[in-house]
Formats: sequence, structure tokens, C-alpha cells
Amino acid sequence: MPPKQETNQRKMFIGQAASPGYVIAKTKLIVRQKVVVSQYKISREGTASQIDFFRKGIMQVKKEISNLRDITLQAVSKKDSEIFDSHLMILQDPLLIDGVISLIRDERWNAGYAFHLKMQSLIENFENSDGILKERAQDLKDIYNRTLLCLNSSESDFALQEEIEEGGAVLTGFSIGPNMLMNFDKGKILGLAIDSGSVTSHVSILARSMQIPAVMGLGSLSESIKSNDLLILDGTNGIVIVNPDENDINKYKKQIEVFQNQKLELFTMRDLEPITMDGKYIRLNANIERYEEASEITSFGASGVGLYRSEFLYFGRNALPTRKEQAEAYSKVVNQLDPLPVTIRTLDAGGDKMLALVNAEVESNPFMGWRSIRLCLDRKDIFRTQMKALIEAGSRGNLKIMFPMISSIGELEKAKEIYEECSAELRAEGLSITKVELGAMIEIPSAVIIIEEIAKRVDFLSIGTNDLIQFTLAVDRSNGKIASLYEPHHPAVLRSIKLVVEAAHKEGIPVSVCGEMASDPLSTLLLVGLGVDELSMSSWCIMECKKIIRSVNYDEARAISAEVLGFADASSINNFLKKKYSQKIKSLGISSFITAQDFTTSDRALIKIDDEIQRIGS
Amino acid sequence: MIHHKLIVQNTLGIHARPAGHIVNIASSAQSSVDLLYSGQKVNAKSILNLMMLAIEPGAEVEFIINGPDEQKTADDLTELFNNKFYEDAT
Repeated sequence: MPPKQETNQRKMFIGQAASPGYVIAKTKLIVRQKVVVSQYKISREGTASQIDFFRKGIMQVKKEISNLRDITLQAVSKKDSEIFDSHLMILQDPLLIDGVISLIRDERWNAGYAFHLKMQSLIENFENSDGILKERAQDLKDIYNRTLLCLNSSESDFALQEEIEEGGAVLTGFSIGPNMLMNFDKGKILGLAIDSGSVTSHVSILARSMQIPAVMGLGSLSESIKSNDLLILDGTNGIVIVNPDENDINKYKKQIEVFQNQKLELFTMRDLEPITMDGKYIRLNANIERYEEASEITSFGASGVGLYRSEFLYFGRNALPTRKEQAEAYSKVVNQLDPLPVTIRTLDAGGDKMLALVNAEVESNPFMGWRSIRLCLDRKDIFRTQMKALIEAGSRGNLKIMFPMISSIGELEKAKEIYEECSAELRAEGLSITKVELGAMIEIPSAVIIIEEIAKRVDFLSIGTNDLIQFTLAVDRSNGKIASLYEPHHPAVLRSIKLVVEAAHKEGIPVSVCGEMASDPLSTLLLVGLGVDELSMSSWCIMECKKIIRSVNYDEARAISAEVLGFADASSINNFLKKKYSQKIKSLGISSFITAQDFTTSDRALIKIDDEIQRIGS
Repeated sequence: MIHHKLIVQNTLGIHARPAGHIVNIASSAQSSVDLLYSGQKVNAKSILNLMMLAIEPGAEVEFIINGPDEQKTADDLTELFNNKFYEDAT
């Protein structure tokens, strides 16, 4: 059914719970500016790669739409999910696809512009007729916007429709880029309700670190509301209610109160040590991606930075960051936190974090492609610039360098060699530099298998659980159809972690876990019991984590972890852990954790929302 | 070859969702399926073609189905149209 455009009609939408918390506030729409579609003629030789780029763009968009369809199907209704089937059909209609390909091949237009031309002519066909066809152009416009974002994207395409007033607002729109989010003053953005994206999108991670509640993947929310509409944003459960009634407001006011109290209570944890009841100290570090975050982490009780994602310095720019610029950014963090340790991961671009400046090619399997340390070892100019900046900043405080995606000893040796060369060159420049600790990230199964060799060659190890789980289980967790197979407690994953811990301790070096798993309460206890020395997580998770660690006996945790290592499958492990720990976690009143398991689409379907959902999608 | 006339009985005519249902049936058929409406004939396996016909509620359309499973395809389409594309039911 088409939406009845009654004003102030109450509507409920569901999407992915991307950052916890609740807010009742007015919304401001993010609107698409007049999009400038880049337009150029390509050479005959260039046509094949442009056609390829176009096909991959379409594939990507189809994947996004299938995910939306699956979520809608499971959480709303079959009927509501069907509009996405229609959108998928449009994206494989020869009238469109062949039309665009012939514009690329015969007219030699670049993919983005060819798509723009073809879609505009289709949309005009619809709009120039009268009556019902006119409304139907909306489906095509949705597809146009979504696809163009893939083929011709630029953050500056989006802007706020109106200024945010005193008191802040929830931002709603088709999409929002990390830069846009960061450019607002603190306190202006009370929440995010975004049509596209998912829990693992960069913006979601950022929202969690900024403690802004967020719901992503809402389908077509932004088309059904206008700036200044009142809405309830429930980032804990992934629900948005537009024009809520009194009942909703009362219900959520209570929720907000409970949530705030929990938060206040947690802050009493801030200055306490993360020590188990029998005295085992577990270092709790923060993950950060902007140097501005450094000042905040101690206010959450972190004892250092366990993962500084340096790639953020590289995104959204026209030129690569210079050595000076990088050295300043790293130094700021190190200076500010000295003597606390700051572990900086070298450029980890590729996968889902493509750097247009370095690699404009679309790969068919980017997660296993030219990314991370592989890219750095091929583009030594980029790597050496960063290395020198890191070494320079290292002389100002407690800095450690961590190499991501290590899959072989060769890569590790090459990276260490570059470190030595750069150190020597800086010394020759007359700089007084100190030795920096070097570590390897363990996130590929091959690295686990040769972990003893790796452990001999580094000063510390850090397990990146997101990638380790994905590669060990061969599960792309952004694929909604198999997201339930993404199982952090799979025995293969746990035994891998155990192997890494044993190898590290044999060499007398520490092991850290960074990745979402570190902040899930059951996983926290499991990891502590496995002998992991440090956990690194979003800073807002740290106080909850402290509370959990302070409530257990290390000996008991070790015994429980040792026992589950013998179990054959994840479900018996989960059941056992729940049996052993649930009571404890419940008694601690911990509820706002985001767990990897919470994000699977099958779980989303379990969310009961009193049959109140009216429509999602069309 | 079957010429099969059907009336569009839902309240909104053939927009993206009903068109999707038609494409589903047409694409899974071995037969060729064309749709004739106000003098224009289009391939019913293309959703954009169907949408661009702007078929209004209450309109009569004619399917021209040709192939081994033409009768089954016609029956499936009849069922779809009679059920108003599964739209108006609440």
C-alpha cells in the first residue's frame, strides 16, 4: 500500500541496532545535494574495466537490497519484503543493464555517467506521463540513488536540510559519511537513523565510540519523514518510531531513565582496577580511530590504546597524508596519554575500507585481496612514510607498532626490515629515536598455524577476532543469509586463540584481543579464562568490562574456559557459558552490551514489537 | 499460442510489486510471455517494460503466451490477477 500522507501519523520502522541507547527528539533530514555525476569519455581499452566496474557496482547494490529484503522478510512480512524483490528485478532488467553497457561500449561514457543517463531517461519516461506512473518513478529514484552512491560516490553529496537547533537533533537520511558525522560539535547529534548501512559500517563504529545511539539499514525511513518530526530512536533494539504517541513516549522515558542510571552506576567503576577477585590484572585498552578520541579514553577508565586504526588519517582526502602530518597526529595521542601505551596499527586499507587514492580497482573478493600489509609492502613509499612518522612519534612516549593481516614470516620480516631501514634513516637525519615495540596481528588462520615462529619474532601479539572468525569459518558476516554462521564461540576459533596464547606465553610476550568479541560479556570471561592478557574495545564498553572482571575468580574462569575447549560445537559452548555465567551477568545489571551474535538477522526476527510495525520498504 | 485476457483488480494498478509478481511467473515459464496493453506489446519478463505501461486499476490486459507450458503459465497469471496480486488483503 502506498503511504497515506497524513500528517503526524505514527509509524514504526526497524533496522539494525548499530549503537545502543535511547533518545526522544526532533529529527533533521540529511538531503542529497544536487549530485554532480562525474562525466568523461573513456578509451576503447578502458571499456572492459568500466563495464566490469558497473557490473560489480550493481552486484554490490543487489547484495545490499537482498539484505534489506531478508531482514524485512524475517522481521516484518513477506508482503513488505516484496518491493525489494521488484528492485532486484529492475537491477537485472536487460532494458537497464544492456542499455548502460551499450552507453559505455558504444558511446564510451564512464560507468557512473552511463548509468545516470540511462536511469534519467527511464525516470523521465515515468514522470512525463500523468497519473499513477508519476508516483512510480520513486522506485526508480531509490535505485538510482543507491546505485549512484556505489558508482559515483562523494560525501559532499549530502548535507543537512536545516541547521540543528539548540539541544540537538537525531539525523535521518539515506546515508551519512564518517566525515560529516565528525564535523558536528559534540552534543549536537543525539542519534542517527539511517536508511542504508549496517552494524559493521564505519559510521556505526564511530557512533558507538561517540556514544550516539544509532539504527542503520532502515530502508526508506527518510522518505516518510520530514525535518522536525518527533521520533523515538531505540539503538539498543534497532527501532525507530516516528510521531510516537503518548504511550510510546512514557514507555521510552522509563527506558531512558533506567539506561541513564545504569550508566551513572557504571561510572563508579572508572577509577577501579580491572582485577579479578583473586587478584589477576587484565589490562583494558581502548580502540580509537581519531586522535581526538585519545583525550576521552581515560575518562572511561582505559589503561591505554590497544588499537589505533591509522587508516582514518587517509580517508576522505585528495592526497595521501604527509609524514609531518602523520607524525603530529600520532604524537598528539602519545603525548596526551604518556606513560600509557598506545598501539598503532599500520595502514589497514582494503577489504571494506577502500582507499580510492591508492586502489581504484574494484576487486571481486576484496577481503582476500590487495589490502592491509600486502598493499603496504607493495607500495613501500606509503608504508615508509607512515613508518617514519610512527618512529618519530615513538620517541615522544609509549608507542607500539602493530602489523595487520600477517599471513607469513616473509611478510613479517619485510615489515621489520622496513622499520629498521627507516630507523637508520631517521638517525642519519639527526633525530634521536628510541626503540619501538613491534607486534603482529593474528587474524588469518595461517598465522595461527605458524604462531610459534611468529611469536619468536615480535614483542607482542594481538588477535583481531573479526577477521580471524571470518577467515576461520569462511563466513562473510555482511552477508545476511549466512550471518548466523558467524559464530565467535566456534571451537575452531577458541582453540586458535588458545594456541596463540600458549605460543606467546612460551616466548614471554603478552597477547591482546581487539575486535568486537572482547566486549561481549560471555566472551570477555571466556577470553580471560583462556589466558589473554589484554582486551581492547570501544572505550564505552570498558567500564562494563571492568565490572565483569572484578566479579569473577581467575581460577574459576580458567577452569570454565579449559572445559569448553573440549566441546565439539558452538551451541554447547554457548549453553555451558550461559549456565555458568548468566546469573552473574544478570546480577550485575549489564544490559547495554553489543554482542556479535545480536546482529544476526535470525535474532532480529525475534524482536517482538507488539505487532505494531506498519510498514517498511514501500 | 494462447491469447489470455485478464482484468487488473487491485486498487493501485501494476506498479513495481505486482510487476515483480508477473515477471516471476513469466521468467519461470519456458514459454514466451508478451503483454499487450493499449496498443503496445512488451516482453513480460522485463519489469521495467511492464512498469512503463502504466497499467491502471480496472484495465484489461492481454497476455500472448507461446510455448510448452503456456496453459500452466496462463493459469498462474489468472490466479495472480484474481488474488489482486496479494495486495489488497490485509
